[in-house]
Formats: sequence, C-alpha cells, structure tokens
Amino acid sequence: MDIIFKIIGVGLITCVAVLIVKPVRSDFAMLISMVGGVIILVMILSSLTTAISLIKSIANQTGIDGNLLSLVFKIIGVGYLTEFTASMCADAGSGGLGDKVLLGGKVVILVMALPIITSILTIVMELLPT
Amino acid sequence: MEGVEIIFKIAAIGLITAVVSQILKQAGKDEIGTFATLAGLIVVIVMVLSLIGDLFGTIKTMFDFG
Repeated sequence: MDIIFKIIGVGLITCVAVLIVKPVRSDFAMLISMVGGVIILVMILSSLTTAISLIKSIANQTGIDGNLLSLVFKIIGVGYLTEFTASMCADAGSGGLGDKVLLGGKVVILVMALPIITSILTIVMELLPT
Repeated sequence: MEGVEIIFKIAAIGLITAVVSQILKQAGKDEIGTFATLAGLIVVIVMVLSLIGDLFGTIKTMFDFG
C-alpha cells in the first residue's frame, strides 16, 4: 500500500524538476520526464510480480494449457510497453508517432492471438456434426 | 528509493551544462560551448538508455518472453 506514496513522490519530484529545467533546456526536460516514467513503471512492475505469480499458481491448479497463459501474459506485456512508449512520445510532443506505436502494438497482439483463434475454430469444427 | 537520485542528477547536469555554455558563449568560445552541451546530452542519454534497458529486461522476464 505504501508504494502509492512512493509513486506520488516520484511523480511530483519529476514534475517539479521538469518545470525547473524546461525554460533552460527543453530537451533535458523531456529526458527527465522519461526517466520519471521509467522509475514509476519499475515500481509498478515490482508489485505486479506478486499478482502474476498468484494468477499463474491458480491457473496451474485448474490444469489450463501453460502455453495459452504465457501467451496472455505476453499480450499484456506488449500492451504495457506500447502504452508506455506512446505516452512518452506524447510527452515529447510527437503524439502522432505514439499513435503509430499503438497501432503497431495492436497488430502485434492480433498476430500473437492468431493461434488461440485457430484453436477455438478447430474445436468448434470438431463439435459440429459433419 | 534508489531511483529518484537519477532525476536530480539529470536536472543538475542540464542546469550545469546550460550555465557552462552560457559562460563560454559570453567568453566568445561558441564552439566549445556547443561541445559541452553535446557532452552533457550524451551522458544523460547513456544514463536514460541503461534505465530503459533495465525496464525492458524486467518486462521481458516477467511476461514470459523467450
């Protein structure tokens, strides 16, 4: 729970540092906001580890296919990374580039989800009476 | 909280290089000022890149990327 105070502190410190540096050097201000985002994300990931391990242990008890679960985690990872990169591009003032990164992430997720879709289709085809 | 120090470091490097380049510009050594600015930028970019590399490595191991 106390991680939220750390995140708030890092966010406020980054904000003030950006405000101080921006009139002097605007390119460094972008780098500072980037570093603040990375630090906050690393903090979030360290608390996300517990949730992921819990979900993995529950899924192991249900006997679900391990490949499917790891595919889902990969898709979540792609989503987080593209979201982070897109917001970083928007901070740097080129939001259009961030939108293209998001589009790339969507396409990659679609390609990664294709095996799941094909497996569902084969199951449905087996169920159908011929 | 080892991560916050890097924010202060980058802000300090930015302010110091700005002051140095201003002083060199006043002294009439414009090109040396440009090189000082460039050196500061490269140092900061190396720091930021190592941090982002750590982040991507963590996400790779966490979300089962081979």
